[in-house]
Amino acid sequence: MSDDLTERTQIERAIARTFSGRTRMSRRAFFRQAGRGGVYAGAALSLPAILAACGIGSPSPSAAPSRAPVGGGTPTGTLDFANWPLYIDQDDDGNSPTLAQFTEATGIDVTYTENIEDNQSFFGLVQPDLAAGNPTGYDIIVMTDWMIGNMIRLGYLEQIDVARDIPNFVANAADKYKNPSYDPNNLHTVPWQSGLTGIGYNPALVDEEITSFRQLFDPAFISKYTGQIGMFTEMRDSMSMALLYNGVIPKEATSDDVQKAKETLEAQAPHVRGYYGNEYAQGLADGSLAITMAWSGDVFQLQLDDPDLKFVVPEEGAILWVDNMAIPVGALHPDDALAMMNYVYDPEVAAQIAEWVNYIVPVPGAQAIIRQHAAEADNDEDREYLEAVAESPLVFPTDDMLARLHSYKVLDEEEERQWNELFQEVVQG
Amino acid sequence: MSAWFRRHKGLVPYLFLLPGGFWLTLFFIIPLLAMASVSLQEGTLGGGFTMTFNLGIFPEAVLRWDDQLVRSLQYGLIVTVLTMLIGYPMAYTIAFRGGRYKTILLLLVIMPFFTSFIIRTISWKFILADQGFVLGTLKDLGLLDQGFRLLATPVAVISGITYNFLPFVVLPLYVALEKIDYRLIEAANDLYASRLHAFLRVTLPLSIPGVFAASLLSFIPAVGDYINADLLGSRNETMIGNVIQRLYLTNNDYPQASALGLILMVGILVSVFLYTRILRGQELTV
Repeated sequence: MSDDLTERTQIERAIARTFSGRTRMSRRAFFRQAGRGGVYAGAALSLPAILAACGIGSPSPSAAPSRAPVGGGTPTGTLDFANWPLYIDQDDDGNSPTLAQFTEATGIDVTYTENIEDNQSFFGLVQPDLAAGNPTGYDIIVMTDWMIGNMIRLGYLEQIDVARDIPNFVANAADKYKNPSYDPNNLHTVPWQSGLTGIGYNPALVDEEITSFRQLFDPAFISKYTGQIGMFTEMRDSMSMALLYNGVIPKEATSDDVQKAKETLEAQAPHVRGYYGNEYAQGLADGSLAITMAWSGDVFQLQLDDPDLKFVVPEEGAILWVDNMAIPVGALHPDDALAMMNYVYDPEVAAQIAEWVNYIVPVPGAQAIIRQHAAEADNDEDREYLEAVAESPLVFPTDDMLARLHSYKVLDEEEERQWNELFQEVVQG
Repeated sequence: MSAWFRRHKGLVPYLFLLPGGFWLTLFFIIPLLAMASVSLQEGTLGGGFTMTFNLGIFPEAVLRWDDQLVRSLQYGLIVTVLTMLIGYPMAYTIAFRGGRYKTILLLLVIMPFFTSFIIRTISWKFILADQGFVLGTLKDLGLLDQGFRLLATPVAVISGITYNFLPFVVLPLYVALEKIDYRLIEAANDLYASRLHAFLRVTLPLSIPGVFAASLLSFIPAVGDYINADLLGSRNETMIGNVIQRLYLTNNDYPQASALGLILMVGILVSVFLYTRILRGQELTV
């Protein structure tokens, strides 16, 4: 069913282009975002997740077993890789040059599936296998940092040894991606791409410069923009924004802080037009939304069409989320998975992916290579596009931006329940 | 083989029911029982759910989501009335006045099914966007206030559902009207019934089975719909389907979601039961 969702997102794009009468962006117009937050996961009550719920015996949430890191062996020549839609480079035929080059270089055939629509429902899909200790059928999965935290706690991810098996990560990854709080010492994961959750706005509809969360939350300010404010249906993002506005670092939020954040969101709600998944980007582009929460990669894409649109890291901070590659326990081809993880940390490869995906690439060395590609481009349109990628702070954030970024809090199940319930009261009355 | 069938003639109808029965058992009865079982369990997805026969979840869920339940039934009712008001004249015209265009008109009615439900609803979003080509133009002409909007209002959600379920209403009404023997209406006219009278005394009663089928086909899916509320509405138009969706897929709160699913089913069954009581005495099946 998730294929429907990908298709839906692509069709939505196509309709958007038809209505806006623009065709220039072609493949680059495909935003990656299909379903971060899984709004339209709604269209697919995933059957496996429900069946999983039916046979619920009592999976043993064993503490992370102290098993040895996988790897150190020989690749088998097969790799099953599950990722989010539109999250790797594609040529005009929809094939990924990166994957083809990987197969050529290593002899490993990759089965690449774009079936991760959002963290929760994918987790629901693989959880029964992980709990039973069966292989999930995937050797690499890509999950967001907070979910990685959960999966590590449940003992669902294999340990890896980056120093031995992923030397490119050690040599080329930016320091801020090493030893993250959700996976200390990168014992289980290396980042795939990351991005920012902040504020996007349309200066044509907003008189002043937006610099602070006050301009997203303070009813006194936003009453001017009632019905033109956008928020996310994704609980963690919206809650984290409200926490930052209240001066709380999301990672340190207590139960009381969350209660207050909920009150902040409720006070804001009468002015909010809607709680969106990816469709907020369309709203920002078509003028329905003046000020909205936004993901950096989307705004970068929208700016190619409307350079006036702005993305802001507010003075109170913003969220840096990281999607990570991980090997689920019992994976059949861990050595092949490690080979892939190492391969994408080659700056040439990282640049090739970044040029298409436009999120934040964990390899700073990619910037110089994209600049070089821009200089070598054989037509103006490609050159301008590649220069925009290389110079955009949304793909290569500035130090000033990075200094103000925070992570999501990794929630235990009780917190998760509390946050979800409070947030549902906000979005569904 | 054929000899066997001849000897066991009585078994044949049951054999015919087998594939359908198997299908319904596998994809309806078993999931329904599983859902009932899950609704009585407690726990979390990570830690596992255990059966605690937590019957209290039903009153809890009803009280927690009463606004959304009531709203869904209201919207379902409004949609049913609207589709009937729009669909009946349509079906009537096609059945009695369609002439040689009947087939084409029917084809036009089912035409929307050639594209997906979601895509049609998304198109509404583009058409009705605040600065889109309909509202934007009307606003630029000064015919509408700049702040006017249709999206994120009950009007948009109810219109969206009405639009999406209209074909489900027109088709059964058409079938019911089409098979009315027109000579009966002529006879009524010959006996000095006015056209209105003939309609009320002959056509309408004879089309009641169609009205019954059509209203169920719009009411039941309309109550459970969440796509329209999601795409065209805001938090103030949240329907029970949206709540269930979020509980299942975002919160992983399977017990409460299952309980609400069952409550919705019971709510619909009770409504339909009351409805059949109202139509009591009428021939409801063709």
